[in-house]
Amino acid sequence: MAVGISGYGVYVPKFRIKREDYAKAWGSFSAAGVGEKAVMGFDEDVLTAAAKVSKRALESVPMTPDKVTRFALASTTPPYVEKLLSGTIMVSVGIPNQALSSDHITSTRAGTEAMLSGFEHVRANPKGVALVAAADAPAASMWDSIEHALGAGAAAYTLSSENLIAELEGHESYASEYFGERFKPREDGLLHDLNVKKFSESSLIANTTSAGNALMKRLNRKPEEYQHVVIQQPDARVPVSVGGKMMFQEPQLAAGLTSKLVGDLGAASTPVSLAAVLDLAKVGDKILVISYGSGAGSDALSFRIVSDRKATVRFQQEVDRKEYIDYIKYLKLKGAIL
Amino acid sequence: MAHVSVPMYWRTIPQRYRLVGHKCKKCGSVNFPPKGVCKYCNSSSEFEEVKLSGKGKVHTFVLISAGGAPPEFADQEKAGGQYPVAIVQLDEGPKVIGQIADVDPKEVKIDMPVTTELRKIYTEEGVIRYGFKFVPAGK
Repeated sequence: MAVGISGYGVYVPKFRIKREDYAKAWGSFSAAGVGEKAVMGFDEDVLTAAAKVSKRALESVPMTPDKVTRFALASTTPPYVEKLLSGTIMVSVGIPNQALSSDHITSTRAGTEAMLSGFEHVRANPKGVALVAAADAPAASMWDSIEHALGAGAAAYTLSSENLIAELEGHESYASEYFGERFKPREDGLLHDLNVKKFSESSLIANTTSAGNALMKRLNRKPEEYQHVVIQQPDARVPVSVGGKMMFQEPQLAAGLTSKLVGDLGAASTPVSLAAVLDLAKVGDKILVISYGSGAGSDALSFRIVSDRKATVRFQQEVDRKEYIDYIKYLKLKGAIL
Repeated sequence: MAHVSVPMYWRTIPQRYRLVGHKCKKCGSVNFPPKGVCKYCNSSSEFEEVKLSGKGKVHTFVLISAGGAPPEFADQEKAGGQYPVAIVQLDEGPKVIGQIADVDPKEVKIDMPVTTELRKIYTEEGVIRYGFKFVPAGK
């Protein structure tokens, strides 16, 4: 039985800050390839963004929320360290209280983790519908160069066995033990990175290529058979270096390269980038998605487009709707002024 | 601060998170927020729950500036500046009060079409109080 994506929705908060404003404030900007990034408003967080994209995903089918039998949320920036998060969104959207829910919150791989848990549900319950929302606005100390790339955005998907836009062809995962790269110790709750670049890069390459190559081998695919490749984007250079190792060319990466416009979306990086690709993909196109979460692990998912139905709100529209802010306003919105 | 206790806030979650109103079984009018007795016919307390669309038009509005914000909204005003609070006439009839987000305060006009979405309203006792705000329609 085929399972796949039957609807999707994307959201980018309207505030943007440019790399030049960082350079003015700090003398440099350390997020490779990021020209500007999105910032949430004072009254927004990952739950309000997740509620918004969940509604948009349902409208794109269209489908009423009472059909949803499984809900999964992904974010590395939950507003509470302990408290169920899914419930806020379920009640706001109107998803039945009886739906099984899960919160995926410990790494930037969480977006694909949530999607795969949704696909497992649909495979076990062919009449079921999973709604998966990934929303993130990662935060770190303003003194830390890892902070420069951190943006904000969200995407949601309805996953089912009918009315598909993109069929899931297969998936592979890879998890391993690495440390020192992008971690949040319990003590201060802030993102840290020991800046051991070569070590971090070896983790990134090992996990992403292991998951990605295993999937291509199982599907008997060659790199050039993919029209679009979406790779986790802590910055805009990472997809190029991972893609290079896997023999992908830059045109295959172009449509999914969202970080240059909105920054590092954490757990929402691959979900939002996949939505940007779905906006443009044609029937028959094949899409490879590879997430990465430090610590470390990757999921690889392969899709084939089976319908030219598109979401009503496109990623490009969300990118075009923007208001620039300066670094002082950025500090206020990020709660960095105590 | 206008204190709203956690249980009091919790009881209003259906209306704050997803605009559940009460349709009077006698006169058919929609009460929002829900009332004990229908405020239109004043003679019925029999209702059915209806989920409102959240769509409506600005009936009237004010702009809240520095010093004008209630304490729970003071930080919002400091971070984001002046913000609009409107009475919106919903498509289903009721007039509802709420902030308008994602808009330049100078752009707010009477009869402007708006819709609702979930936002953080304020935080009290460490609990984030979510609820609806209006945003310009079609955005």
